[in-house]
Amino acid sequence: MSYQSKRTIVSMLAGIALAIAYIFYALGGGAPDPNDLRAWATAMLVFIGIGVAALVVIQIIFHILFAVGTAVRRRDCDDKQVERILSATMSEDEMDRLITLQSTHAGYICAGIGLPAALVMLALGASAVAALHTALGAFAAGSLVEGIVSIRLYEGGVRRG
Amino acid sequence: MDKKLAITNSIRKLRFFADEMTQLELAERAGVSRQTIVALEAGKYTPSLELAFRIARVFGVGIADVFACGQEEKEP
Repeated sequence: MSYQSKRTIVSMLAGIALAIAYIFYALGGGAPDPNDLRAWATAMLVFIGIGVAALVVIQIIFHILFAVGTAVRRRDCDDKQVERILSATMSEDEMDRLITLQSTHAGYICAGIGLPAALVMLALGASAVAALHTALGAFAAGSLVEGIVSIRLYEGGVRRG
Repeated sequence: MDKKLAITNSIRKLRFFADEMTQLELAERAGVSRQTIVALEAGKYTPSLELAFRIARVFGVGIADVFACGQEEKEP
């Protein structure tokens, strides 16, 4: 499995862990009142902030572990050679950009469904909090879809057009 | 039905004849990641025209000596 796929899996696992934590919070006893839109919005913002910070920390840890793992696997090489390998592995090029473009496109389609879905829910008489969660869920699903498509393209191949 | 051309390449063979040039060295000289060279050799990625020329230049051959247009394949 490629470095990019591993990095994507780490990001996806972090996102899934955060989503599970939020579901526990939302269904647990400490959750805000179902009609308190402001409290829910604040809770979502806090979780999004925690998610971004956690993702940065996890990515840093992943990069350190990956570099250490490469150095251990290539213990017969000198430091300069290991540095070359890491540089050639982690650098971003046209294939990465093409895969990012295609996976982001898939993610946006999924996330974009969230708004009309939330509007449909409101039109059908659901609460504003439920609609808000539908939109948030669509973004989370979009992020997951983006990761899955990215891994599929890295491992299965990517074509232009 | 829309058909796509199957682009094949001789990168592995050219590396062999270039004194068994490593994928890492080719990646560095072509200015891409090693993963991209791996994907190219496995036929999992079709490069841009610019990258195709860069790879051909690394081996000192023409682009047609590196890449070839194979049989047409059906669009999945």
